[in-house]
Amino acid sequence: MDTIAMIPGGLINTVTVLIVAPFFHGVLRKITARIQSRQGPPIWQPYFDLLKLLGKEDIESGESPRTQRFAVYLSLATLLTMACLVPMELSEPSNFAGDSILLIYLLTLCSICTLLAGLAAGSAYSLVGISREMMTIIALEPLFAIAIVVGAIHAQSFRMDVVLNGSVYLTKGFPWSGLVMVAVMLLSFQAFVQRLPFDITEAETEIMEGPLVEYSGPKLAVFKYAQMVKLVIYSAIFVALFVPWDLGLTFPWKWLLFWLKVFILVLLVTLVAATHARYRIDQAIRYFAGLMVAAVVALALASYGY
Amino acid sequence: MSIMGKFKETIICLKAGRVTLPYPAQPQIAPPTFRGRPIFDAAKCIGCAGCANNCPAREILVFDPCQEVRILKYLGRRCTYCGRCADVCPEKAITMSKDFETGTGSIGDLQQQLELFMSTCQRCGRCFKKPSVLEQLKMTGYRLDDLRDERWIFRSQSYLEGEPLVDDIRIELD
Amino acid sequence: MLKNLCKKMFARSLWVYHANSGGCNGCDIEVLNVLTPYYDVERFGIKLVGSPRHADVMLCQGPAMRSTVKALQRAYEAMPAPKLVFAIGSCACGGGIWFDTYSVLGPVEKAIPVDFYIPGCPPRPEAIVYGVAAAVGLVDKKTAPVQIKQLELPIPRYHPGDLRGEGELVVYEKVEKI
Repeated sequence: MDTIAMIPGGLINTVTVLIVAPFFHGVLRKITARIQSRQGPPIWQPYFDLLKLLGKEDIESGESPRTQRFAVYLSLATLLTMACLVPMELSEPSNFAGDSILLIYLLTLCSICTLLAGLAAGSAYSLVGISREMMTIIALEPLFAIAIVVGAIHAQSFRMDVVLNGSVYLTKGFPWSGLVMVAVMLLSFQAFVQRLPFDITEAETEIMEGPLVEYSGPKLAVFKYAQMVKLVIYSAIFVALFVPWDLGLTFPWKWLLFWLKVFILVLLVTLVAATHARYRIDQAIRYFAGLMVAAVVALALASYGY
Repeated sequence: MSIMGKFKETIICLKAGRVTLPYPAQPQIAPPTFRGRPIFDAAKCIGCAGCANNCPAREILVFDPCQEVRILKYLGRRCTYCGRCADVCPEKAITMSKDFETGTGSIGDLQQQLELFMSTCQRCGRCFKKPSVLEQLKMTGYRLDDLRDERWIFRSQSYLEGEPLVDDIRIELD
Repeated sequence: MLKNLCKKMFARSLWVYHANSGGCNGCDIEVLNVLTPYYDVERFGIKLVGSPRHADVMLCQGPAMRSTVKALQRAYEAMPAPKLVFAIGSCACGGGIWFDTYSVLGPVEKAIPVDFYIPGCPPRPEAIVYGVAAAVGLVDKKTAPVQIKQLELPIPRYHPGDLRGEGELVVYEKVEKI
């Protein structure tokens, strides 16, 4: 656990995430297009989009431009902090006090930034969007928290390098709670990364892109970037928590295997997103309530040692 | 909504392959009954202005600078490609071509202007008979297809009456 | 240097906002057709967005009517520079058949400055794709103004004084050519 070796590890993690996130998003768009029987945009399209948005004029409008700026930069900042913290097979993550709890806190903060953005705009569309986002956050964030807590219960510690290393499977017998948690997380993963069938807040056709209505130019670029990075970060946490086996490989291959697993998860997300329709907010909440019951059952099982 | 249903859906779509037309790379031909841009043939036109009379959008404008010359101008801005001009023309001088790739940066690119010498009457030697005083009243100023009033054509009739009907909106008047 | 890169990327990813200010929806449906898999326009990077603040190009359809001209101007001002306006259909280019009705003020360029015109009633989806490609610079435009002057001289000219004969048979004695 060298403190000095941690810093380049965190930096390389962040830079890799920044470079790779639009590429994964481009692959997502291309595969969605192929499933819809058409030739989609080139894989590098999100890079072009972000560069073009950076070159546009920045119109500050809405109720409160200062909150707009704050919300935008805060969302990308929380995601990049998580990129430094989550272990991506490169180096030991930083293990200061309150590790996994910090991760849960940062995840929730990232979703709250969307709320701030919608409030700053103040138009009717954005207010509807953030009310739906609020309901979704209340139903979703506990699921992730329970997943991490189950891992912590089994590993008897909250340190990140222990919890984020497949700790849900660390029971003496058959890991029942681990399997239940994997099922719950897979079923609700689409909602975390804001893709169909659960992209209620970003519903383009219904509420004109919801909270992002008043953003233009560079701020919109940062927001879109934050959404792309969210997909990568959540996939990385999922892989680190539930699929950590690295087959005993050495350094460069371990890292590539990690990113391959993340890529496979992104492909799975794409396939589900391309073949489903959007759920209404009340249908989605009912679905998450069912998943919450299953998660609480898993928590009970974990506390009894199963 | 079952998982198998979704798999079947995906496989059906993937089997369809790529249905996108490679349009700008390969030219696309319009179907045989397509009415595209009208092309005016000056060699066949006799200058009767039947097309101008019949155009529902007042797109073909007529002007007689002197006794023997008639100018017919097709503006191309609001043409709806209905084909009435081609139907009415007695000499079949207008053809509705199959041309649809007409996007342009300046709308004046679509205009076609014909200046024609009209043939004279065998008996009196003039192209048109001199209109009576009543007919002169009817013809000046109120003919909507007069080329001299081209710049008025794009306004609604409220402007022709002399007072703008909308004062709160910034519209440029002539 | 970053600015040059951003300028070059503008043509590769155009985000489109569709504004219908009173048309018959024929051109709406053709624009919708352009976004379907058959004429797929997303392969050029063009995406439909729901808010003018996100958009680069405004596709205007329908003439500028008294009731909607203010909304058109507000949507135009809400778009961040650099922006383009395409007028689609003959109503937006020149007022259409309705140019002289009671509530139509004229073509869309009475309210906002237009950069590119795509005439047609409605324009075929291929025509719209061609227009967008020509605006971006991928292909050349195919139209130019045509002016034809009839220079066929001499015109035979007949004088009434040269007519001979009565009734059915009328003969010219002399033909004077100019």
